[in-house]
Amino acid sequence: MPRTSRFEGRLLIAPLTAFLIALLGFPLVLDIIYSVSRVGFENIRAPELIGFSNYAKAVADPEFWAAAWFSLRFGLIVAVIQVVAGLGLAVFLAPLFAKRPWLIAFLMLPMMVAPALVGLMYRLILHEFVGAVPYYLLEWYGDFPAFLGRDWAFTTLVTIETLQWTPFALLILHSSYAAVSPDIREAASLDGARGRRLFLNIDLPLMMPAIGITFFLRFIDSFRVFDNLYTLVGPGAGGSTTSMSIYIYQAFFKVGDIGLAVAASMLLLAASFVVLWVINGLTARKAPL
Amino acid sequence: MTRLKTLLTSAALFAALGVTGAMAEVTVLGWPGGPEEAGLRKAADAYNTTASDADKVKLIFFNRDGFFDKLAADLAAGSTDFDVNLLATYALGRYTPFMDPITLPDASKATFPEKVLATMQYEGKQYGIPTDLSLHFMYYRTDLIEKLLSDADWKAKYGEISEKYLGKKLEPKDPDAWTWDDWMATALFFTKSINSDSPTRYGTVLQMKNLLFNMMVWHSAARAQGGDWMNDKGEITVDSPAFRTALDIYKKLYDDGTSPKDSTTYEFAEANAAFGAGQAATMLQWNAAFGDLDNKEKTPAVAGKIGTVAPPAGPEGRFTHIHGLGLGINKASKNKDGAVKFLNWLGTPDAMEIYAKAGGSPALSDAVVAKVSAERPDLVKLGQYAGSYGFVMHGGTAAKALQVYELQAKEFTAYWSGGKSLDDALAATKSGMADLLKP
Repeated sequence: MPRTSRFEGRLLIAPLTAFLIALLGFPLVLDIIYSVSRVGFENIRAPELIGFSNYAKAVADPEFWAAAWFSLRFGLIVAVIQVVAGLGLAVFLAPLFAKRPWLIAFLMLPMMVAPALVGLMYRLILHEFVGAVPYYLLEWYGDFPAFLGRDWAFTTLVTIETLQWTPFALLILHSSYAAVSPDIREAASLDGARGRRLFLNIDLPLMMPAIGITFFLRFIDSFRVFDNLYTLVGPGAGGSTTSMSIYIYQAFFKVGDIGLAVAASMLLLAASFVVLWVINGLTARKAPL
Repeated sequence: MTRLKTLLTSAALFAALGVTGAMAEVTVLGWPGGPEEAGLRKAADAYNTTASDADKVKLIFFNRDGFFDKLAADLAAGSTDFDVNLLATYALGRYTPFMDPITLPDASKATFPEKVLATMQYEGKQYGIPTDLSLHFMYYRTDLIEKLLSDADWKAKYGEISEKYLGKKLEPKDPDAWTWDDWMATALFFTKSINSDSPTRYGTVLQMKNLLFNMMVWHSAARAQGGDWMNDKGEITVDSPAFRTALDIYKKLYDDGTSPKDSTTYEFAEANAAFGAGQAATMLQWNAAFGDLDNKEKTPAVAGKIGTVAPPAGPEGRFTHIHGLGLGINKASKNKDGAVKFLNWLGTPDAMEIYAKAGGSPALSDAVVAKVSAERPDLVKLGQYAGSYGFVMHGGTAAKALQVYELQAKEFTAYWSGGKSLDDALAATKSGMADLLKP
């Protein structure tokens, strides 16, 4: 790029850069300061610098790792299920969508509901005395599991998250599937590729970037799950459903250890960059020329 | 001329709006969305009819969910958006650094018993006017207990069940004479999976969610066994036999199926739903639940069939956790004079009469409660129980009291749900409390 145009380019993005620095930079700097300070509500305006003790405290806290493990497990399982289900639906329903595109809008409806409301809704649906699910299970089978109890809460949460967000995966993967050129499929068909082979050798490799992005978005979103989980079961019996977001929320508001909460959130931010880097690398390698 | 009239009218309207705005000089942040809000609104309306323009009050409310977290953040940030704000006994230590102590007028001392005023005291100073008192009633189905006390077959079965599950043959008793064993036996008897003749699915409904308020409910059992957070020397005593016994009461009742399977996710609303559906024979619950449960339109299955007594007796006596909600002065307030005037008025018998009749639950002295007892019979019991059985755990108003409740909720629910042994849960609670409550 010629020198003048490089300068012009920088000049043109300068307002956006300044805006981002103002918008994100200040809270980030404040977060960094808080993360290396002893700070609670009582001294929130005059934090005391203590170095990296908050990071050490977070890393040494078994509950931090339990929360990280819960979020990681939840995020991975949910993202995999949603991508597989979204991909299956995108391919299976493609002919139907081609004829009736409005169906996509209909299938997107679960995404329109606020996660906290979804949590509340399922809390009612699964409640033994007012919920439909326990009622019918009791009628038909004479028993039902404790859906929100210690043993079943994880499965219930995964199911609810999948029901709400699979449409998102479907939306992206349907667009990606529809974008694969019919010419390429036709050429492969002429060479004898059919059905599953056509899908595995032609469609799937071409869709890998979209699949990677979908997985990444769903993983990150599920990893930081808060609203529906909090309204459904909260941190769970003995903290058994404490996600990273709930851990940070509790450290901040319930315990009042703002320094620890911010340090944990900074570690979470760093972890998300690692995930982004890994996913980026994987999808870039798989992307077609 | 028409234009001039329009301008003058507009100017007059703007002036009127300005006056209206200036009228609300004292901003009060109240507890939203319940009977406390209804009571405060009526009281503020009454106050504003006689207060001077500069002293009139304006009410604001956050959401109920997360109220105390947002309040803590606002107070810590030195917000001047409110002059008077809500206080709760269990959060006193957390908020007092950001609040001004008040001097009680004589009228307040006549309105409230000393024990109730103490729910708003921290380190010897008064920080608020106690507008509402919360404690626990043992709720029970009068129709079922009456039959149990009179039916020979039921009595015999009750004896068999208590012998089988508790190791001692018990006789049914009037709920007001219950020990914790009697309550356990009753809960077992009215559980369908144990007694197929039971008209209810469950004998009780426990609130075992990992939530600090559920600890307050359970503490009545611990205190009756002689349990406390600390002894006089300041040593943490949660691993005492008293705490173990009280924890085991809930564990046994849950494991034996006397309470719904999802009880480990239950709090106030879920427990009320179970009892209100007519599917639980007893429930240890906040006094605030009585109004809705006894309302024929809201809970037709049980309304008119509910009895309330104080929690059962243990070896050390009969106890109920109490805490107050009240209103105090924000240290950053810019209108402290107006705030003091309003609080002084709020503590008078007349103000509390208005407050109680509108739905609030103040614990009043005998002379004052007599004026509202016809409309609010539950307030008579409230005052009696608070005076006779009320307790606050040693350390229950400390700066880190909320965190202690949180810690106990996490550890004890882990034990109840089978995630931790009793020894591990108590050891973790003890060491965590030692950190939180160290001077």
